[in-house]
Amino acid sequence: MSQIEIIDILKIYTIGDLNIRAVDNVSMKIEKGEFLSVVGHSGSGKTTLISIMGGIIRPTTGRVLFEGIDISSLNDEKLSEYRNEKIGFMFQFASLLPILTAKENVLLPRIFSPKGKSKNGKEAEEYLDMVGIGEKINAYPSQLSGGQQRRVAIARALMNDPQVILADEPTGDLDEETEAEIMELFKRLNKEKKVTFIFITHNLDLARQAQKQIRMTHGVIKEI
Amino acid sequence: MTKEFTIFSLALKNLKRKPLRTGILIVAIGLLVSVLVFALSFVRRVDSSIRITSDRLGSDLLIVPTGSRGAAEDVLLENKVKTFYMDKGIIDRVKNIKGIDRLTYQTYLVTITGVCCDVPETIVVAFNQDTDFVIKPWLTKKLGRELKKGEAIVGSESAFNIRLGLTEVDSVLFGNIFKMVGVLDKTGTGLDNAIFIDDKNIDDILQKGKADIKPGQISVIFAKVQKGYDPYEVAGNIEDSIIEADTVARKDIGKSLINTLRDINRIFSVTVMLASILSIFLVWAVFSAIANERSKEVGIMRAIGAKENHVVRIFFLEVFVIGSIGSILGIVSGTALSFLLSKSFIILKNLSNDLSIAERIFIGILSLLAGTGICIVGALSPIQRIKKLEPLLAIKEE
Repeated sequence: MSQIEIIDILKIYTIGDLNIRAVDNVSMKIEKGEFLSVVGHSGSGKTTLISIMGGIIRPTTGRVLFEGIDISSLNDEKLSEYRNEKIGFMFQFASLLPILTAKENVLLPRIFSPKGKSKNGKEAEEYLDMVGIGEKINAYPSQLSGGQQRRVAIARALMNDPQVILADEPTGDLDEETEAEIMELFKRLNKEKKVTFIFITHNLDLARQAQKQIRMTHGVIKEI
Repeated sequence: MTKEFTIFSLALKNLKRKPLRTGILIVAIGLLVSVLVFALSFVRRVDSSIRITSDRLGSDLLIVPTGSRGAAEDVLLENKVKTFYMDKGIIDRVKNIKGIDRLTYQTYLVTITGVCCDVPETIVVAFNQDTDFVIKPWLTKKLGRELKKGEAIVGSESAFNIRLGLTEVDSVLFGNIFKMVGVLDKTGTGLDNAIFIDDKNIDDILQKGKADIKPGQISVIFAKVQKGYDPYEVAGNIEDSIIEADTVARKDIGKSLINTLRDINRIFSVTVMLASILSIFLVWAVFSAIANERSKEVGIMRAIGAKENHVVRIFFLEVFVIGSIGSILGIVSGTALSFLLSKSFIILKNLSNDLSIAERIFIGILSLLAGTGICIVGALSPIQRIKKLEPLLAIKEE
């Protein structure tokens, strides 16, 4: 059984009288521990596709199976639990809450977790150490560089020990050196923690570093 | 041990992010609650004074000279110094009315410093100890015996007014020397400001000619009605057969004051209602702005696993903190205001009965609920809107 199986996914956005097929009858399988890149032009449906995999949006038709369970049929409560426990998200920007310190930002998924999980920050400090900014635990996002903010976002994505990390252009506005560091970190985590990585990028060099690459055009998926 | 990071800590951090805005909301709620506490304290105090007075007088009917209903209520409820007289013969005529069980009477005299007396202007109540059922319970409790001729006992507030905290001192009243033998406990009626003497002293007072009263005059008759008789019917019979007398039934004591209060109540109600609407609108406007500002953050939280009820909890905790801090400040300032302004409002100044601790606690709890409730009502619609945000759209929003 594949970790993620997408079956005939169709996502239509309606803008006025216009129906836009953002993802057009896509089917694919992703195995546990894969390191996968998704490339494509703006508006090709990349973000919509990984958002459907992550349970952030629901498909118009089709099914997404995670370890055999159809997440498209889950109610909001169960779908939130799925996002919290199984998935780690990284967005196009660092997406940290400005009022929280680095440690609190990393702890954020934990406060939405079911009862019983520690919220005292020891694990958050360990993750921040792991991504190389252990000395910045009490810094606010405004006191961190772009690269450091990305590292905090990675630590946050790892916080609840997810099985899959979905990253939407995680190195988008970073310099080449930081971009390379972040990619190395992804690869290390993929190898050490066996976490499945699916990341969107416009940078073909980065995409090539992935074990498997996918290109999307007009909502349709093409494996490279 | 490291402090836990919880939804409550997140809500507090959100409130601290714009302290001026949070402060303005707290002050707005505080002002509203302050007005509410003041209004409730005012109305409640007048209401309970009237109720306590009518209960403690222990009679079903008051019989006063025609046209003196208001003056009698002024004396009994508002500590006003007023006199009114009718012929003593009315006592026997009232006794003959069907349904009267027992009665007693009082005569009110006014002291004038330097002219007749060595105490400040106050009411002196001459009462008949043989028939009395109004003062006697308090007298027995405090003195344990009847007042002798030439003795006086002062009401709890009067003792303060005439600096008579000490007993066994002599005072001149209407040219006669009276020994002050004690201070009565607080009764909660206007009579707390009076000095009490036995009715037998009236002859001596008349002889000295320093009181504005003629022989054979009394001020008020207190009557109890026999079981099974309707006090209103008996009162009607008295007024029909004794043209020189007016009656006030126990339940009607303070009616004119209540009528006056009704207008004040309306003003308070309109003020509180307008202030509430304004506060709801302010909370709505501020939380709508907050919801817009934080839509991206809410989208991120939803994406990393926050449920709708987590988002609702965060916002409601913020609303609750603002509402409760504002309400507590309002309760403190409103209570302080009611103490300070009680000296500026003649109606309150003259009421001897203050609110009990239990009544103040009740007003406090009611105001706390109102203040917090208004905050919640105001924030309800923005919170409902933000909890339904589509996470991806919110995250992508610039």
